[in-house]
Amino acid sequence: MNTKTLMYIVKRILLAIVTVWVVITVTFFVMHAVPGGPFIGEKAVSESVMKAMEAKYGLDKPLGVQYLTYLSDVVTKFDFGPSLKQKGRSVNDIIFDGMKTSAKLGLIAALIALASGVVLGSIAALRRNKLIDRIIMIITTAFVSMPSFIMGSLLLIAFAINLKWFPANGASKNGLVLPVLTLSLYPMAYITRLTRSSMLEVLGQDYIRTAKAKGVSGMKIIFGHALKNSLIPVITYFGPMLAGIVTGSLVVEQIFAVPGIGRAFVNSITGRDYPLIMGTTIVLATLIVIMNLVGDIMYKVVDPRITLE
Amino acid sequence: MKKKLVSLVLASSMVLSLAACGAQSTETAPADTQTAETAQTTDATATEAPAETAAETPAEPVGEQSINVCLASEPASLDPALNSAVDGATLINHLFSGLAKWGLDASGNLELQPDCAEELVEGVTNEDGTVTYTYTLRDGLTWSDGQPVTANDFVFAWNRAIAPETAADYGYMFEVVDGYADGKLNVNAVDDKTLEVTLANTVAYWDELLAFPTYMPVREDVVANEAWATDPSTYVCNGAYTMTSWDHNSLITITKNENFYDADKITMNEINFYLSDDANNQLANFENGDWQMIDDVPTNEIATLKETYPDEFVTAGQLGTYYVCWNINENILPASNTLTGADKAAAENEVRNALALLIDRNYIVNDVAQGGQVPASSFVAMGLTDADGSQFYENAGGNSFAGYYDVSEDAYEANWGAAIETLKKYYTFDEATQQFTDFPTLTYLYNTSEGHKAIAEAIQATFAGIGITMNLENQEWATFLDTRKAGNYSIARNGWLGDYNDPISFLDMWTTQSGNNDVQFGKGDNAKVQAYSLDITDLGYETKVENGTWSETYDVLISDIKTCTDVKTRYELMHRAEDLLMSTGCICPIYYYTDLYMISNNVQGFFSSPLGYKYFMYCTITG
Repeated sequence: MNTKTLMYIVKRILLAIVTVWVVITVTFFVMHAVPGGPFIGEKAVSESVMKAMEAKYGLDKPLGVQYLTYLSDVVTKFDFGPSLKQKGRSVNDIIFDGMKTSAKLGLIAALIALASGVVLGSIAALRRNKLIDRIIMIITTAFVSMPSFIMGSLLLIAFAINLKWFPANGASKNGLVLPVLTLSLYPMAYITRLTRSSMLEVLGQDYIRTAKAKGVSGMKIIFGHALKNSLIPVITYFGPMLAGIVTGSLVVEQIFAVPGIGRAFVNSITGRDYPLIMGTTIVLATLIVIMNLVGDIMYKVVDPRITLE
Repeated sequence: MKKKLVSLVLASSMVLSLAACGAQSTETAPADTQTAETAQTTDATATEAPAETAAETPAEPVGEQSINVCLASEPASLDPALNSAVDGATLINHLFSGLAKWGLDASGNLELQPDCAEELVEGVTNEDGTVTYTYTLRDGLTWSDGQPVTANDFVFAWNRAIAPETAADYGYMFEVVDGYADGKLNVNAVDDKTLEVTLANTVAYWDELLAFPTYMPVREDVVANEAWATDPSTYVCNGAYTMTSWDHNSLITITKNENFYDADKITMNEINFYLSDDANNQLANFENGDWQMIDDVPTNEIATLKETYPDEFVTAGQLGTYYVCWNINENILPASNTLTGADKAAAENEVRNALALLIDRNYIVNDVAQGGQVPASSFVAMGLTDADGSQFYENAGGNSFAGYYDVSEDAYEANWGAAIETLKKYYTFDEATQQFTDFPTLTYLYNTSEGHKAIAEAIQATFAGIGITMNLENQEWATFLDTRKAGNYSIARNGWLGDYNDPISFLDMWTTQSGNNDVQFGKGDNAKVQAYSLDITDLGYETKVENGTWSETYDVLISDIKTCTDVKTRYELMHRAEDLLMSTGCICPIYYYTDLYMISNNVQGFFSSPLGYKYFMYCTITG
């Protein structure tokens, strides 16, 4: 790695930090500007109780002071504060709990998507215009064009309600099977199509023809030359794919009642649980920024022709 | 059915995908008082009404007794003092044991029974009018960590609940106890087993309060740890069950406490409370047989579910009223109006009451809401009792029918005619088109939810029929609450569930300074309007006000009710308060709430109360 690349990476990391800071700041002030608060319900609580709660959580201080306190707690102590709704629990705990489930969900989905996508894509390219290619393309077109909430609902009805093979609740035993499937189908289909078209392009390149002319075996051409080079676009897609899985899980976790960070995020907004809104936003934003950064760097690593500026 | 379910699931998921974009999810939001934000209620009418039981011929219980249920999502708190939700109350009722509890009598009716107390004693009236109760605790009561339960634990818990630093929503449930106003309750531990409590005056619903979750004991050294109620290892309780695991946002498992004094009667060994607030997901789990009881059903599915699961779909009574409220400061008279002050107020009262007559409550209940609700004609809900034990709402209004209007189907045509005649006094009516031409445009505010929207549309259509334009506006839950509370609306949907079986819990919320005074009585322009009259001299009071302000009349009446010790007079005063309230037309009741849930036919021994509490401890699962 040369210094130019290193400089680029450092620059990107600094930019990522600024991005997250902007997200924190905008979320913080927008969140407080939205009407409604964490302590109001259909039944009003008494003035003294309201005051006591606001004092307890520091919500009685000016917004600017709250902002600075929050920022310094996050930066210096990595402390996201207490949840206002789940009494007695810290946001760090809630996020940690949620991340355990969501990370498992997301990583398995990503691996399945990657593995099956590359295999299916290669098969389709090598059997171009044959029946198997047609079938793969029709199915993947369907998966790519179907949003996760439709896919999730269909899988739920088919496998949880009708066939009863898997539970409808993400917290039950084997409960993650359907959510993982739902999350992986879109990126799998996308990777299949990506691999197919890129493999076809590579197979038409001069160096492949040269290798063939030199008498290199078919298998060696595919695994030694074609596959490796056709994976470049797939690798660059990896970052956005993980980011997509993170955001996709917001919907999927709700459909299957998976106790992940996505559900915590949605519920925190509904309940105006300020510290939890901040905590989940920061974590999700950081994740997405990192994924994209990693994607860009990988791009450079696998394809030396690309210069990072 | 399947097709419908598909479309339903799809629709709700689409809404959720919007939520993912930072907007608001509708189905998961505490869309109405029946769901997450629901306040607790207690009720004594339950003693008369048979409890909802899964009545089936008993079969042999099978295997190790364990049940999977789903009430709601993660409870906000399982600290008895901090809990203010119905689902949390159900959990606390299984985990804690107070002085009294709800149970079934020999014939299957709900009744209050002594729990930690050996018996529910009568109070002794002192010279100053206060009433003292002395309770003896049962022998051998222990906490789940083995330490004995003492009278001091109650003294500590009750005082803790009212301390401002505890910030308990339900601290005011101790309002009836002497010393509440001074921040130190008149409750003492005479010795380890004797608890003495003094009430400011006679309280008809005192035994009920003793069974209320906020009245459960907690131990000082346990709650010193602020996070005690979030983890099974620190959750020390004294009830029929102990908490064995809490997988946050997914599952709470509680297991029978073999050291509980009444353990012989507890038949269910283990209860798994799954935590999900998605009605569609709950239904999916019920339909595939994983869960035996779910406390929420998708609104659009109600009609189908009633047909598909006639025995398992249950509609139970609840102490609450769904109503539409007006902002009293909203001008509704035509632009040509010249009335001012009390005359204007009187005209507006008349107009609002006329509009209330136009609403076809039977249509809303049968064809829109479809949940077995009862058309409402009063604000104090069905189920609350009067001084003589009869229904308060049936005696309200002093009419030949129950309540303030005749909501029977037969009366609708007459109501309509009367309403039109009244409105003609103030608005221009075009006989040719049968429409009013100068009614100002109204805006109806509701919180985002299919159910509320459908009701809003029904009312909109009715008003449109006589030329009144009413626009609909929906807001996300927390925003909606803020807007309504601040009075930034003209008409809004509203709902109220009583805290206990006493009409005062529906009436004291409308005093000028109340935090629930959404109508804005006595606030803004209405503060100076002298249009309200009150005469209670016939009941031995000196108050006689003609054309006074809201605070000179209603507020005075409520404070009189709170200090009144004569039961009959007190109830009469409460009827007068509701009369005054309803005369403004600002409260337009639609229906009395019902509690909808589903329970599998395999479950025996289940019961629920009109407060929405569910009881699983005496359940058995049969094959």
